[in-house]
Amino acid sequence: MDVFEKVKDILMELLDVEDQDITPETYLVRDLEAESIDLLELAVSFNAFFDIEVNDDELFLKDIRSYIPDKAKIEDGMVKTINEKYPFLSTGRIKEIIYDLQEGPTLKVKDLVNYIIGNRFVNNN
Amino acid sequence: MSICFSGRRALILGGSCDLAISLARHLICEDVSPLLTYRTEKGENYIKKELESVSGKYHTIYLNFGEIQSLKGLLDKIGGDDLDYMVDFAQGDYESLISASDENRVYQYFSENISFRAALLKDLTRLMLRKKKGRLIFISSSAAKRPNPGQGFYAAAKLASEALYRNLGLELGSRGITTITLRPGYIEEGRGKAFLKSNREKTLNKVPIKRAITRKEVAKAIIFFLSENSSGFNATEIELDGGFTAGK
Repeated sequence: MDVFEKVKDILMELLDVEDQDITPETYLVRDLEAESIDLLELAVSFNAFFDIEVNDDELFLKDIRSYIPDKAKIEDGMVKTINEKYPFLSTGRIKEIIYDLQEGPTLKVKDLVNYIIGNRFVNNN
Repeated sequence: MSICFSGRRALILGGSCDLAISLARHLICEDVSPLLTYRTEKGENYIKKELESVSGKYHTIYLNFGEIQSLKGLLDKIGGDDLDYMVDFAQGDYESLISASDENRVYQYFSENISFRAALLKDLTRLMLRKKKGRLIFISSSAAKRPNPGQGFYAAAKLASEALYRNLGLELGSRGITTITLRPGYIEEGRGKAFLKSNREKTLNKVPIKRAITRKEVAKAIIFFLSENSSGFNATEIELDGGFTAGK
């Protein structure tokens, strides 16, 4: 099964939301109003279904603000540091997050999908 | 009133103590299969000897709070999501006046009795979250609230562990995972037995029921708090001390 489709199924069940509410660009907290207990359940579901070790802090970008100074200008060094900490985020996505962070929690469905794909790749190799 | 259980598998931490073994017997009578942890070969042999008559109806597994790798072995043994209950008797002993303590032993003691317990609770509750059901009981002590001189580290570790269990009940109650802490008072077992041997009259005079708590009373209380009959209790501490801590 396609990873996005499975993530969507899990989100629909855990958050009681409809199929059309979820796209790769959907924000977990801003759009779907996920709370911390929901994120914990997501991590548990990902671990059970995809058989991957989940680091909650990493998956849910809990500390990402600490790598981005206030009124940050995007610098290569900063992007590299964030990429090392969160290898499932592409350079383009990191830049998007830096611009977007002031608007609120920035985690999107596509970030979950990329985390799972990245971890499965590591597990299979 | 009959006691009802919705689950069938219980993990008992610190499984080689007499209270844990007594609880295991009661659980088996209720058709709940216990998995008892032990830390030494002597502990494992003691469990086997004491539960010989119910051989095949329980399991054992090595778990050492000083070895984080042993946690993985426990999780492998439990497997999947097959865990309904957990009762935590495990507690290391370090008796010393605080001002006379050894720093290294203090670090190790808190690492084993608090940090390891937190790691274990994280993993076990994540298993329970898969089926959105679980009951955890922490066996604390009246010494957590009223320690004697020399019991400062024991009391601190017990109170910290109580806080972990209380918060789990707060955080996961909405997902069917609940917790209770029991604080037994003077018991005719283990450390309590040794203490009572030399301080019986003076000590039990302070207990309103004028006697120590028995192992059967502890086991029956735990059975009740594991059962569906007590499902309204969560994130709380309950004294099981004959009234010892209620008065001056």
